[in-house]
Amino acid sequence: MTAWLCAIDHKRVGILYMLSALLFFLAGGMEAMVMRAQLAAPNLKLIAPEVYNQMFTMHGTTMIFLVAMPVLTGFGVYLTPLMIGANEMALPRLGALGFWLQLFGGVLLYISFASGSAPDAGWFSYAPLSEKPFSGGPGLDYWALALLLITGGSIGSAINLIVTIATERAPGMTMRLVPLFVWSTFITSVMIVFALPALAASLVMLLSDRLLHARFFDAAQGGSPLLWQHYFWIFGHPEVYIVVLPAFGMISEIIPVFSRKPIFGYSFMATSTVAIAFLSYGVWVHHMFAVALGRNFLAVFAAASMLIAVPTGMKIFSWIATMWGGAIRFTTAMLFAVAFLLEFTIGGLSGVAFATVPVDWQLTDTYFVVAHIHYVVFGGTVFALFAGAYYWFPKLSGRMLDESLGRWNFWLVVIGFNAAFFVQHFLGLLGMRRRVYTYPDLPWLGALNIISTVGAAILVFGIFIFLCNVGMSLLFGAKAAADPWNAWTLEWAAASPPRLENFQEAPTVRSRRPLWDLKHPDAPDWLPVRGDA
Amino acid sequence: MTKQRAQLGMAMFLISEAVFFFLLILACVNLRALPIFVDASGWVLTALLLAGSLCVWRGWRWAALALGAAFIVGLIATKFSMLTAVHGLFVFAGMISIAAVPVSALRTVALYWYFFTAVWLVIFLAASQA
Repeated sequence: MTAWLCAIDHKRVGILYMLSALLFFLAGGMEAMVMRAQLAAPNLKLIAPEVYNQMFTMHGTTMIFLVAMPVLTGFGVYLTPLMIGANEMALPRLGALGFWLQLFGGVLLYISFASGSAPDAGWFSYAPLSEKPFSGGPGLDYWALALLLITGGSIGSAINLIVTIATERAPGMTMRLVPLFVWSTFITSVMIVFALPALAASLVMLLSDRLLHARFFDAAQGGSPLLWQHYFWIFGHPEVYIVVLPAFGMISEIIPVFSRKPIFGYSFMATSTVAIAFLSYGVWVHHMFAVALGRNFLAVFAAASMLIAVPTGMKIFSWIATMWGGAIRFTTAMLFAVAFLLEFTIGGLSGVAFATVPVDWQLTDTYFVVAHIHYVVFGGTVFALFAGAYYWFPKLSGRMLDESLGRWNFWLVVIGFNAAFFVQHFLGLLGMRRRVYTYPDLPWLGALNIISTVGAAILVFGIFIFLCNVGMSLLFGAKAAADPWNAWTLEWAAASPPRLENFQEAPTVRSRRPLWDLKHPDAPDWLPVRGDA
Repeated sequence: MTKQRAQLGMAMFLISEAVFFFLLILACVNLRALPIFVDASGWVLTALLLAGSLCVWRGWRWAALALGAAFIVGLIATKFSMLTAVHGLFVFAGMISIAAVPVSALRTVALYWYFFTAVWLVIFLAASQA
């Protein structure tokens, strides 16, 4: 136990990140199910409206800050040194500090329940709703302090990852040869360094208003509630890509291995990651189209928001081109990767719809937004995480996950997810507002909501199957070889699970598939004849 | 390599702090919430931080600590402002770092001190113009 509490080894810290994310995922999932139960039929009053407000605030905050970010950081911390042929992180104590700050932030957030006043202003807590006159209890103070801790932890972990990738790569591994997951982790970490301070600045001002009688967001005292929206979304839109780009990186590792082909257009994939990161800082206003801003202002941000679909589309085409003509093995990891392409594309297309100002005006704050964000974050990030879990679990644990249970897990999650969230597009189009705790008995609203609730229950069952699979595999699963998938990147050159020192000696890298080179000394990748795109 | 790692890490941290203070100062300028310095208090505080930077540069850590402590005391004595309070917290953290790190790491921590001196100069300049 002490060894885990004091751990600075990247593998242990990575697993701690994943375990804490799993615990918070269960908490956030329960909050979601309470909301779905409340919305199952019109005019239900299972819970009080104030409790419903707390549920959606805690659900959103938990899933973004305590699940999506930590679990992706966990994968990054665990896999990055292995993938670049390093034995440790560059700044291991900073990495461990990052984890503990994040965990304490999460615990502080949930202590607010014990105070009898959990935060209830939504995960983006717009001012003036989050100001003292409208949210008098201590819930928002807990929320802001918890997010400050989480912000500090995330920045610490991001710095650790940046320095590791910049300084610890194996001999010969230039940035043109690093795996795409490492590229994604690197760019995401840089984004965290630039984006999260905007959230920290907003939180400091909010706390000053609430606790020190400052007036940053109080219009009556010369402040500006819009300032919160600007600063929050300067952080908030890059945040979407902070939780999506590492998922892209995972898919870019999994699809080539199970298609038996190198990734199509490596350079374009890496460049598009940089382009997405860069553009994501110029689109924050598309979350604020409903605010009275100038027409030219709206046009510029609408165009920028549409532009970001171009590098994202390049990635989708690259993944399809990689599969095209490949000898595809439909393992559970690959099934989730293929489903990711479909689900994320749906989320991306509804995102383009929101970039169109008149459409946004009609749909903003409706269930269409809820459907969109879940197709991006669940259909994108969580599907990729399932794919990554099935792919890398043998490396983490030394055991294989059961493929039969994996297929049950896959189909239940796909069916449950689409039943829960696809219908929410129609709810939005019918005018159902988000964040309402009940709704009148109007045509279709009840029917679509019950479909969504049943879908959510199926989804929960699918996730339960996954947890059973993990538990049973840890106890009784087949032992995993070092390289069970016949893969190409360096993590598969280490033992499963890796020893304390990942590699006996630093591997020399000459191509993007170093393990292929080791396995095929007669036809290595670095010979020009085998060079890929 | 260890020094290179530490300096790169510190550079990344300072970039995040630069974004943080840029946005905070921008908001304060925009909403006219800048600190007010009575008489020469702003000049005295600025001189203390600059002298502290000089001491850090020369490796006189205890002198730097004393000047940092004088700066914090001076800050407490002036009219409260959120911006200077947040900056003061970072200076305090810098003092702890300077006291705790080995001599070999002093150069890296010095970057932190120089940075917060520069941030102070921006705050002081903005407050003087207001």
